[in-house]
Amino acid sequence: MSVDRGNVKILVFACRWCGLIGADGAGRKRIELPASYRVIPVDCAGYVEPDAVIRAFASGATGVAVLGCHVGGCRFNDANHPALKRLELLKTLLDTTGIGGNRLLLGFGTAHESHQYADMILEFHRAMESMPSMASWLPQGQ
Amino acid sequence: MSKISLFLCNCFGEIGRVIDLEFIRKKFEADPDVDSVTIVDSLCMPDDAAKAQVLTRERRIGKVLIGACSPYGKMEFVRLGLAKEGAAVRAVDLREGCAWIHGKDPEGATRKAANQIDMELALLQNRKDSKDLTLRVQQEVLVIGAGPAGLSAACGLARLGFRTHLVDRGSAPGGLLNVVKKVYPTDEPGPGKIKNLVDETGENPLIRFYGKTKISSVKGYAGDFKVKLTGPEGNTALRVGAVVLATGARILFPQGLYGYGKIKNVITQMEIERRFATGALNCKTAVFIQCVGARNAERPYCSTICCPLSLKNAMRVMDENPGARAYVLHRDIMTPGSVLEAYYRKAMQRGVQFIRFDAERPPEVRGQEQVSGVEVFDSISGVSRVIDSDLLVLSTPFVADPESAAIARMFEIPVDKYGFYEEVYPIHPVETRNDGIFICGTSRWPVSSDQAIAQGEAAAIKAASFLGKETVSALAMSRVPGGKLGHAAADAAACTGCGNCVAVCPYKACRLQRTGNRSVSRVIKVRCKACGNCVAVCPNGAMQMPEQNYRVTGEMIRRAFREVR
Repeated sequence: MSVDRGNVKILVFACRWCGLIGADGAGRKRIELPASYRVIPVDCAGYVEPDAVIRAFASGATGVAVLGCHVGGCRFNDANHPALKRLELLKTLLDTTGIGGNRLLLGFGTAHESHQYADMILEFHRAMESMPSMASWLPQGQ
Repeated sequence: MSKISLFLCNCFGEIGRVIDLEFIRKKFEADPDVDSVTIVDSLCMPDDAAKAQVLTRERRIGKVLIGACSPYGKMEFVRLGLAKEGAAVRAVDLREGCAWIHGKDPEGATRKAANQIDMELALLQNRKDSKDLTLRVQQEVLVIGAGPAGLSAACGLARLGFRTHLVDRGSAPGGLLNVVKKVYPTDEPGPGKIKNLVDETGENPLIRFYGKTKISSVKGYAGDFKVKLTGPEGNTALRVGAVVLATGARILFPQGLYGYGKIKNVITQMEIERRFATGALNCKTAVFIQCVGARNAERPYCSTICCPLSLKNAMRVMDENPGARAYVLHRDIMTPGSVLEAYYRKAMQRGVQFIRFDAERPPEVRGQEQVSGVEVFDSISGVSRVIDSDLLVLSTPFVADPESAAIARMFEIPVDKYGFYEEVYPIHPVETRNDGIFICGTSRWPVSSDQAIAQGEAAAIKAASFLGKETVSALAMSRVPGGKLGHAAADAAACTGCGNCVAVCPYKACRLQRTGNRSVSRVIKVRCKACGNCVAVCPNGAMQMPEQNYRVTGEMIRRAFREVR
């Protein structure tokens, strides 16, 4: 089994009230970012199921980022609090299974923090560059 | 499954400069899900927008995918324009989210654009529509609490033509103002301030006042609350569309502070009001201590009314006892606004003495059975002073009413850590997270009677604008226009009744319902705001968001990094 590094694939779940608007702001400021990530817009970070994160790893994502609003600033009252707890727990689980909790990024920001969004993506990309690709575990032909 | 039409916008080269649109067109023309791919120069300009609209209408296209700028810009208008033609429209962000940030990597940007379009195609093909629910809004309102806030809310609603039920645990309307002989800063009598509102309550046939009445049970949701009242007239069952909570607060009893309860003539502001009312107040020197039990670690908030209250009562002591003196020992005098600041100056000119003390070094009471004086360290001059006094008045803050916790539980609204009802922070000051429940007055936060009356009016207007629509669609019940994608739907066959969704829902929209010999989850569509927490915690996949169901998410994840050829 060859260890394939550098081919970074990041799946971003971005809440459409904060993360996605932050992405929009980063775009307007023309902040150059690596084209290694794909975005799934969700209504709230609370929507992101742990199974979806696991499934993303199973289909070859190097890292998964979940971007929501600041804790206490959620559009849906406090819907991102349970999400945070759930995903922190998932990090422990990822550590236990050997995938590594650092492959899951939990980011919290408000809509206008586009620089923070860009930094987060960039840093996560750099961190993932040194990680072996999850695709090494995939069956051939996928 | 109907096919999808794809419109790609070049944005005058802004997108096409980086992303190879021709390549994407060729790729998706070969896709079996795609009916046609059209590249236009600028979808937001009238001619191209019209072209897309005509194409959608003439070819009866059911599903449209737009690849253009971000949905937060002009794209939303284009999307809505096409949606008017009856098509399900989604947009992919190719400019802000792709071309502009991956300018140095055109190949990567093209790959990303293709993947993102592919993912949205999966969404369009697999999404379902939430079943909407249209609800008849009951055209009656319940106002709980007949203090200044409740009275002004009830009168406001009745003036707008809504049948209003006004409930109070006391026998007469008025609340705390009934105790107050004079109110600051106008020095008019307390009951006189709300006399017109109380009169209106009696005269307006739309208002019905229930004295000595309590709430025994609440069922239902926004638009249709079923409330049972228990009072001297027996039980009453109401069906109301909205509820205004103005249950008020109470003044803290300073038990154990400054010898209260042990030393005679150490009293609270409420007691001095009562003494004024009975006329039995004579003293030579009155000392008022501010912030008793407030602005400390336990209650860090300022109670708003105590400073002006002390100014008013200090002046009254001097008015009613010629030759008497009044001291106000304060940490800061809080008299915001021009009116109250003028009132403060008036008190200074009248001869009220102000001494500032530090929270770390509070005043000490002298005297065993009867107050003989107060020792205070003046933090401005730095010297300790002893004031001979025969009356000590403690300004204690508003604290939550002991009954408001039970009311909050009944109406399923949250309270903050001090027990006051919590508003929807920060831009919905009289609304709560349970739709159809509005809050005002001191049950929400310490306010003066003027502010309480203003808040009552605000709550009345908010309640009226909700009741104004005679029917309401569950999908439209969102605070943000276009904010609600749908609502969660529970599959009764797959649900095992674990209750995870009930525990996690921030809107208390999930309920366990007994059917046969098992419990299954049921979603109250009116309350659901589609955050998706229930979907994330459901172990059986029984809870789904039709617009973004498990098939959509699964397909999107699968297609996210698919090889682009």
